[in-house]
Amino acid sequence: MRETYGVVLPGMSLADLTGKLIVIEGTDGVGRSTQIDLLKPWLEQQGRAVVDTGLTRSALAGKGIKQAKEGHTLGPLTLSLFYSTDFTDRLESEIVPALRAGFVVLTDRYIYSLMARAMLRGLDVSWLRNAYSFALKPDAVFYLRIGVDDLIPRVVFSRGFDYWESGMDLHPSEDMYESFRKYQTALLARFEELAKEYNFEVIDASADVSTIFRHLRDGIARVLSGEPQEPLFGVEPPKDVPETAGEKKTVEMPPSRKAAASEENEQRNKENVAS
Amino acid sequence: MKRYGEHRFPGKLFVVEGIDGSGKSTQLVLLHQWLKAEGYGVVFSEWNSSPLVRNITKRGKKKHMLTPATFCLIHATDFADRMERNIIPLLKAGAVVLCDRYIYTAFARDVVRGMDPKWVREIYSFAPKPTVTFYFRVPLEVAMKRLINGRNGFKFYEAGMDLELSQDAEESFHMFQGRIIEEYEKMVPEFEITVVDATQPVEAEQAQMRQLVKSKLAQAKRLRVAP
Repeated sequence: MRETYGVVLPGMSLADLTGKLIVIEGTDGVGRSTQIDLLKPWLEQQGRAVVDTGLTRSALAGKGIKQAKEGHTLGPLTLSLFYSTDFTDRLESEIVPALRAGFVVLTDRYIYSLMARAMLRGLDVSWLRNAYSFALKPDAVFYLRIGVDDLIPRVVFSRGFDYWESGMDLHPSEDMYESFRKYQTALLARFEELAKEYNFEVIDASADVSTIFRHLRDGIARVLSGEPQEPLFGVEPPKDVPETAGEKKTVEMPPSRKAAASEENEQRNKENVAS
Repeated sequence: MKRYGEHRFPGKLFVVEGIDGSGKSTQLVLLHQWLKAEGYGVVFSEWNSSPLVRNITKRGKKKHMLTPATFCLIHATDFADRMERNIIPLLKAGAVVLCDRYIYTAFARDVVRGMDPKWVREIYSFAPKPTVTFYFRVPLEVAMKRLINGRNGFKFYEAGMDLELSQDAEESFHMFQGRIIEEYEKMVPEFEITVVDATQPVEAEQAQMRQLVKSKLAQAKRLRVAP
């Protein structure tokens, strides 16, 4: 049976949560969402129903957090509890129902990012552990590890520095570059501690997108293979992912397989109509 | 991160607690007027009133989106915001702060809704310990009578309708508040709470409060605010 890190929330039965909970962790700009955008279609190709979720996407508190962060006036406890409300809303209304229905839940960050950020803002580890002790233990946590020197160019050449991800609330006198470097260095150190404590599977995120994807794919396939259900198709990345040199080029799904797939779909449709 | 009982402030914190209809808010308003007239720098803070959070709570309540856990956490967020931005700085500056409801309201409501008592206490462990907490003890029937005269109907969460105790709002309110009282009674010894017999006349209750508040303020340096 599935477990939590401590307490169980009222009304949350842990029985029959047969789906898989897979966490992608890592700092800002490391490429988590790029990978999730690749993993989702790959899983769906194999006939797995997938739900993806991430921070500040709750119906209850998502918008509120974003608005409050605009004002730059949130204290560390308020920020932490606000995120916890958002997380809990998604856990109860999205993640748990999906796991009960046998889905694969891919989550872009989990309690670990929230804990790491809050620790940097002076909250006690013991307080944070208790606060998130109702969280479900995931089936796997893949941590995209990157050094700050590899991270900076990625952030600079994409969306630039974000106020909070640069820890500007912690070092208001610094310029954004210095603050980002300082903040992310400290954050990455916290992640390393959490990686040990919570058994993260570490993936080198300084590699290119397709290499990271291959590692994630293999890791997730391993997690899923514990299940009796047979995948519909072989484990292949989507065709638009560039493979690195020396690797076998991924080709489009062979026509025979495609035909088999559409036949299967047709068959299923007929069955649905019949029933 | 300072915990309950560890803070040392020049300011003073007075809290009123009790079920709806216990008369606690009336008493706090009177105390506020008196302290102002006495020349204290005094500030009043209400439960669930953070400008950043309260609209989210309101919407969540209206749409019945709140579970026991999110009900608890959104109120804790509101409380944390008022603490961090408002109440703690004021206490550091030496003000007298008056709170209509405090962490004990959360402990009572959240535990009745099924949250783990230890877990909720730890969540709120960042709250400074009040100088005095007054609990307005009143029989449920007396409070109900006061409330039914003063308003029409009860709101969904206020009546604990989410607990599905009864389809009837008044009956649900009655059962829910009965359980809240049980939780309050357990907290009286746990948190050294001062009990006020809330069936007394308004003036008698106020006299009791002022006497105790006065004795606590006698040791404090008075923060003078410019008129």
